[in-house]
Amino acid sequence: MIKIAVYGKGGIGKSTTVSNLAAAFADKGLKVMQIGCDPKADSTFSLHGTKDVKTVLDLIREKKNKFELEEMVHIGYKGVICVEAGGPTPGLGCAGRGIIAALDKLKEKGAYEKYAPDIVLYDVLGDVVCGGFSMPMRGGYSDKIFIITSGENMAIHAAANIAVALENFQGRGYASLGGLILNRRNVKDEEKKVEELCGDIHTGIIGTLSRSETVTDAEDLGKTVIEAFPDSEMAQEYRKLAEDILRTCED
Amino acid sequence: MLRKVNGQEVDIRPILIKDCSFPSPFPAGLEFSSPARGTWNIAHQGMLIPEAHEIFVCAASCLRGVVLTAYEMKAEKRFSTVAVEEQNLLEGNMEDLIIDGVSDIIDQLSPKPPCVLVYTSCVHHFCGCDLEMVYRELRSRYPDIDFTDCYMNPIMRKSGRTPDQIMRSRFYSLLKPREILPGSVAFIGNDFSMEKDSTLYKALSLSGKTIFELTECKTYEEYQQMAQAEYYIADYPSAKVAGEDLSERLGGKFLYLPFTFSYDEIRKNVEKLSSVLSIVKPDFEKEVGICEQALQEAYLKIGDTPIAIDYTAFTRPLGLARLLLTHGFQVKRIYVDAFIGEEKDDFDFLSEKYPELEIWPTLSAQMRFAADHEKTDYLCIGQKAAHFNTAPHFVNICENGGFYGYQAITGLCRLMLEAKENEKDIRTLISKKAWRCESCI
Repeated sequence: MIKIAVYGKGGIGKSTTVSNLAAAFADKGLKVMQIGCDPKADSTFSLHGTKDVKTVLDLIREKKNKFELEEMVHIGYKGVICVEAGGPTPGLGCAGRGIIAALDKLKEKGAYEKYAPDIVLYDVLGDVVCGGFSMPMRGGYSDKIFIITSGENMAIHAAANIAVALENFQGRGYASLGGLILNRRNVKDEEKKVEELCGDIHTGIIGTLSRSETVTDAEDLGKTVIEAFPDSEMAQEYRKLAEDILRTCED
Repeated sequence: MLRKVNGQEVDIRPILIKDCSFPSPFPAGLEFSSPARGTWNIAHQGMLIPEAHEIFVCAASCLRGVVLTAYEMKAEKRFSTVAVEEQNLLEGNMEDLIIDGVSDIIDQLSPKPPCVLVYTSCVHHFCGCDLEMVYRELRSRYPDIDFTDCYMNPIMRKSGRTPDQIMRSRFYSLLKPREILPGSVAFIGNDFSMEKDSTLYKALSLSGKTIFELTECKTYEEYQQMAQAEYYIADYPSAKVAGEDLSERLGGKFLYLPFTFSYDEIRKNVEKLSSVLSIVKPDFEKEVGICEQALQEAYLKIGDTPIAIDYTAFTRPLGLARLLLTHGFQVKRIYVDAFIGEEKDDFDFLSEKYPELEIWPTLSAQMRFAADHEKTDYLCIGQKAAHFNTAPHFVNICENGGFYGYQAITGLCRLMLEAKENEKDIRTLISKKAWRCESCI
């Protein structure tokens, strides 16, 4: 089982990228599980197209422990097993604690053993602002971490913070940094800025995604690019990124 | 006077069993912790493992109860603490604090304990501390010491496994696989040794079986010898998961033979044991006859004395009420906050046959004032019932007290007669409850 967590600044395109990776992996015949670790609970929407899915935290709130594993998952494109961790009551609860509770519950209910996915993808909200957001970095959850960034300063700042968090966990047997994914926003000196970041955090750019209207067109249809526009150049970029990630994990 | 926010006085009244819902008769709300605890706490329980050293890691103010317990037990040399402060949360060094704190304590201990119980608390749970990594590091630093994870986590009290279930399971987590001694039995999850004349113990010992009990172990090596048991038996409901966990880990066969006051159930439990293990079975008819005689003799002296029972004395308070009521005793009150599933049949029976039986909470806030009255002539079974009724005539027992089977009935009759004859000092017995103290229950 390959376990990957994808981090990055809010709005950088994590869910879109992760969902397209999930679809690309599924097209290859792999069994994929995607776990959205974001209170917005929309990480997997483009894979199953269902709005207002029950999140793990919704179930914990409503039913305590009296629910089945099957209630926590939604099957999406080509059998992708979709899970949304969900979030706390807005403005009141603790989002980090929410991720911890949701991931603990998945483990407790035997999700990884029952579905036995070939690949698990964690789509983790924004920066590592507290311990809860580092949970997917731990040994047992992820093997490799990929950070999505553009050349925008805030995205680079967030990526650096995530890398620092990973560095802090050195020696604990946690996941290692697999590389950066450059999601272009076409800002000035974008590639150069991200390469500089790579130098600072001792990693490389594992793949690059173009800024493309195809992505927003697919989103408007409530689908991934892979599903909606399988022959597009963008779909090809996602497929290539999926291959590069697989190769990095296998190394 | 405790008042509701709208100014009304708090009504201290029970619910009649006929009006009770099962299994939770009382609404959740503001809770009161009675000074009469009755059952053991997590600090008491950990000390059952010989030579173990307990280390509690939590906010200083939360340590009060367990510190007092350790001192009360005169076990302060086997007890240490690591205080968590706000700064640790801000710096995100919660894991390092546990590792360094526990290491510092161990380095100062001489001789080194063979095992250390590390109790983490709710703040670690909230933060999602990586306890797996913590224990991995501790085991790597001290390969000659066995570590196990224990919890002082009130947040887990009413969700998933309860702290009591977890603690009873952790008792046995340190056992390492050993060659099995065929036909040997370990009693699992009890805080008290089985009475030698209790039905199960007697049947096993008369059959020449080797019996292991944590409560009888004097050294850590003796404790480790429990891993030789081929069969594990639990009779305490909270210990069921401990038996299941141990069976899964070490491979012995687990039998849950719940404590009960029902003749039929006692017989079924003995038959269940006899179906897997060759034992000398008791003469069931004769044993029932002895119990009946004991009950009659007790009734002759106790007569119409009102009786109150609380759930800390025996795990089947409804079963006990049923036994006593059907033998003429005047059981008036039961103190219990929730019924266990095993008591549904007794609940239905009592609701139908004795509908006026009073069910009292122990945790409801209004119970703060339930003990504010003069001495009563109630004969109470259990410390909480004695406290709430200010009743000096009480049976000082908790968690079944090592009783089992027919012996539990005859033994209880004996204790009830003693309690009827002699007054006890409620305050002293309730305020001191652990080993080597006056109560020593």
